[in-house]
This record gives sequence, C-alpha cells and structure tokens, in this order.
Amino acid sequence: MMDKLFVIAVGGTGMRCLESFVHLCAIGMFDSREIEVLTLDTDQTNGNKGKVEELIRLYNRVKSSDTLEGGTPNADTFFSTKLNLYRFFTNYSGKGRENYKNLSRLSTGTPDQQRDNQLLSDLFLDNQSVQEFNLAHGYRAQTHLGSLLMYHGITEAARNIAKGGNVQLQERELEQFIGKLELAGEAARVFVFGSVFGGTGASSIPIIPKALQDFVQIRSAGASSIDLGKTRFGATLLTEYFTFRKPDDKQRSSKDDSVIADASFFPLNSQAALQFYQSDPTVQRSYKLLYHIGWPVESKKADGGQDNGKTITGGADQKNACHITELLAACAAYDFFTRESLLDGPKAAYLYKAAAFSDNAFSFTADDFVGNQDRAGEVFANKLGAFFSLAHISLTANGGARGDLGIKAFLNLLHKQKITQYEGISEMECADLNDYFKHFAYTFDKDRFVTGWIYQIRNSIAPGSFIFNSKAFPDNQAELNRLDVGTIFLDEQYHWPKSLISSRYSTFVSKLIESGALEQQKVNTTKEKFLAHLYNALSNSQGFQLN
Amino acid sequence: MESITAYVISGITTLALLLIAALIANSINFERGSRPRDAARRRTWYWVIAVLNPVLIFVLGYYIFRPDANVMIVKRFIHALSIGAACGFVVYLLLGFVLSRIYKNGKIGHWF
Repeated sequence: MMDKLFVIAVGGTGMRCLESFVHLCAIGMFDSREIEVLTLDTDQTNGNKGKVEELIRLYNRVKSSDTLEGGTPNADTFFSTKLNLYRFFTNYSGKGRENYKNLSRLSTGTPDQQRDNQLLSDLFLDNQSVQEFNLAHGYRAQTHLGSLLMYHGITEAARNIAKGGNVQLQERELEQFIGKLELAGEAARVFVFGSVFGGTGASSIPIIPKALQDFVQIRSAGASSIDLGKTRFGATLLTEYFTFRKPDDKQRSSKDDSVIADASFFPLNSQAALQFYQSDPTVQRSYKLLYHIGWPVESKKADGGQDNGKTITGGADQKNACHITELLAACAAYDFFTRESLLDGPKAAYLYKAAAFSDNAFSFTADDFVGNQDRAGEVFANKLGAFFSLAHISLTANGGARGDLGIKAFLNLLHKQKITQYEGISEMECADLNDYFKHFAYTFDKDRFVTGWIYQIRNSIAPGSFIFNSKAFPDNQAELNRLDVGTIFLDEQYHWPKSLISSRYSTFVSKLIESGALEQQKVNTTKEKFLAHLYNALSNSQGFQLN
Repeated sequence: MESITAYVISGITTLALLLIAALIANSINFERGSRPRDAARRRTWYWVIAVLNPVLIFVLGYYIFRPDANVMIVKRFIHALSIGAACGFVVYLLLGFVLSRIYKNGKIGHWF
C-alpha cells in the first residue's frame, strides 16, 4: 500500500516553497497520489499565503469536473495529483489577542501570580519590545516567542474543538487535516516547508510534530495519539537566500513595529537555528529526514531592488518573487515522498547536495533537482519541459497572455481536425487553464510584462543556466513572436523534430492528431483526457528515453 | 480509339492533380495562433486545382494529344475530351471527398 502524503507549509517562505511544490504537482511529478496540504501562518492576510492558496484553488478548478470536485489522481499526465487544501492561522486579531502581553493575560490573577508571570516572561522575552509588538504580521524573527505561541495556537484549537461551541473555521480545517493524519497512522509521510532564518517557519518547524501529537491527545481527551517514532516527518532546513531593506529608526519608533525582522541578522539566525536543530532531542526524535538547503552566494533582494521607503513586515504586500532554492525545497519533498531508505532511523538524518558553480554562476541540470535514480532527472526534465512548452503554446503562440484564445485555440484546432471528443470543455475551463499557465510562466498587465513562477526561478540564477535555453524566456512581444516553442531545451536532442516541408510545430500537431489518452493514464473526465492527450504528444515530441 | 485516348488523358490528369493537391495539403504547415489560416489555404488549393483539372485535360488533349486525322475523327476526339474533362472534374471531387473522409483527422480532411 502506498504511504499517505501530507504537506505543511509554514510562514511566508514555506508558502513560496509550497508554490513550487504545487507546480511540481501540475507538471505531473506525483503521479497517482492524493496529497493533503495544510497552510499554517500567523498572518492570514499574508500575500504569499493568499497567492499559493489561490493557486491551489485554481489547480483544483483545473482538475474538477461537474461531478467531482478536485478531480481524481491520474498517472503520466499534467495535474496528476489530487490536492486537498486545509488552512489554519493563529488568530491575533481579536481584542486581547494583539500581542504576547495581552494573549498570555499577564495582568490577570492575584498580585502574586501577576508578579510571577511577569518575571517568568521577562526571563525569556524582552519586556518592552518582544512582549508588546503586534503579532498580526507574524513573529518577526523572534523564534523563542514564535515557538511558544504557535504551539499555543495549535493546542488552543484542540481545546476549543474538545469543548465544542464556537469553533472557528480554521480550527475545523486543522482538525480535518490532523484527522486524516491520525487515520493514516504509520503510513503517513509528513513534509514541512519553512525557513530556519525568519519568524513563523523557524518558530514552527521544531514544535509541529509535538503540537500535532498534543492536538490529537487534547481533542480525544487522551484516548488517541500520534506515534512520533513511527509517523515519518521530514522538513527543509532552509537557510537565508534573500534579503530586504533594513528598517529605519522612523519605522521602529512605532510600538507595533518596534520589532522588525532585520535581514542582516539572517545568516546569524540560520547558524543559531542549525545548532539548535542539531542538539535538540525533540527535533532529532520527531524528524526522520532534514534537508539542508541554502544559497551560498550573495542573497538577492526579495523586493527586486524596489524601495518603497518601508520594510514590509507582512500582510498582503508581502508577495516575493520565487527563487530556485524554493524549487529545491519542493524537490526535497519529492525525494522524501518517493525514497525508501533512511526513513526509519531513531534520529534525524541530514541530506544535502551541491550544484556546479563556475564563472560566478550556477548551472543546474535536471539531475541536480531530483537525482538520477530510475532516470528521475530525465522524467523531471521531460515533464517540466512539456508543461513549459504547453504554457508557451497557450500564452505565446495562441496569445493567451494577452487575452486571446490560449488553450481554447487547441480545442478549435482539434475540432477542425474532426477530433470532437473534447468539445464538452467549456470556455470557463479553458480560462482556468490559461490562468494557471499565467501563474506558471508569464502574463501581461496591459503592456507590462509580468513574470510567473518559472521565469522568476530562472531569473534567480541568471546568468547561470537552468535546464532550458535562455531564449525560452523572452520578455518582450517581439522576442515572444519569434519564439519557436519546440526549441526550449539547452540540449538540442530534445528539440521537437522537423523536416524539409514541416516545421517543428506542425510535426507536433501531427503527433497530437495521431495520439490520444491511454488507459494506463487513469483519466476519467473529458478535461483529464484532453490534458493526457496533450502530455503524450508533447512527451513524444521531446524524445526523452524514459524507460 | 481516339475516345479511349481522351478518357485516359482525363483519368491520368485527374489522378495526377489529385496527388498534387494532396502533396500541397501536406506541405502546408499547421499554423500556430488563435486564428490559423492553414485549413483555408488547403481548401483553396484543392478547389483551385479542381477548376484547373478540366482546363488542363482539355489543353493537354487539344494541343498535345489531338489525333492527326480527318475532321470527323478530331470531332469525336474533342467530344470525348469534353466528356472526359467533365467526368474528370466530377471524379476529382468524388475522390477528393472520399479521401477527405478517409483521412478526416489529417490535413486532407480540410478539403471538405
């Protein structure tokens, strides 16, 4: 029996790793799997969180049919994974919940209790700043406070559910997620995305397994539990890879912003966190595998160098460009979910690898992301390339990025070839696919070119190389018009074939007409069959040796 | 005998032009874009050749294969050539339609 897969994304960086993970699902890296996804944050308005949740909803709309919300797992096709999204956030918006001082009710109880509580708090947390800053935008790199409050938030949800009555929606969703984890028992594999250098992720990674275990115990009044020795937890130890504007004194002068994450401390935070994870027995016992992921050269500006005069602490404005380290984190999850070894040790094992670096630039091959066991690198390159080509066909060749037909033009093409089985796919469903491709590759906002995920990933290592030809990433209309979608790979052997009288695109369409969805792809709905059909023609055109 | 020659010319010309129409259809690339014109171009070429077919049959027959004989024989030849050109046009359309149905998912499918 296959293990049941769970993903938990924590904090802003965790959300961006989850975004990469969702795109891996879209290209078809997790065939025939159903994955439960929990987003965990203190900041319910966080831009990165909102963006990835919208992406998962869009993913599910692409997979959904009239009769089946979210679709079914498929094999060897695009969108082959079924994703179930659950959202939980610690609530710091109500009265008396704005900061540590109010939340922990330091001013209640007898005078003796108040004095003891205050002394205890002062021992660990700075009185004037850490105890009083507004928690709505997260823990602001104060991980000692964050771990305490995230644990509190999860166990508080368990107590509310156990009591019944006014249970919040996010608490219900957390309960559903943990319920499935409990049900999966020893067959569960849980992967946690988060950074170790910032606030929420760094605070949560050490306490999540224990907090989930205690949630089950509290909610069931001790009748049930999660065996941390047998449930397989894995996580990224993602050290600093981006930086941002240093907060100035004016911004710090406000009480709400008296504590702000300072990117100049990120290397120090990372070092301290890694030392902690190495020596902490709870972390060592709870996790089976920890993936070291870092960026060993100068960190890039998260805001792309734009300075709006203020350090963004969170909220809807926090929408950072994607970085290749996030894709590597998503690939760590792929490794964790597909590997058979190192999963049953008594303490955490550490995994890491390196990529080629020369002339001050990285060059990443497909094997650098997923290894080369069972031709995993070629499978990855084939799937990513096929999806990228399809995105270019939809957005570039068929004008989807500028509001033209996009993927609908393909349906029209098939209709002209008297292939009529996909005519049930509606305009709305085509629009969802086009939207997904815009998230994945690029779009236009009026005349402004807006990069999507894969462009941002590539930009994060420019001028280094990343599987694809640099010409596959044009960013202006003239170059887009000239793009040959069959030549996106660096290695010419994977370019689509052409002949004296037939262009690459025409040869591909001929293959599309000759092929179709196969039974072993386990596709049921019209849309799934259409995607599988496209996948087969694209794979066939790229000519990877996959077996 | 002259009539047979005229009908043979018609048959061979019709088949040859049909082959040329098929080659042209296959040499026109599938176009990218939301409003591709490749299907219309194949159809246009098919109908242009359809119109050309009887003309070519008549021109070939009259100027190259016309028998060097008396008026009666030439008249019979031209009469047979006219019927052959008309039949060639009909056969071209008929075969074109049948091929278009057989290869309905391919480029030839655009003829009808």
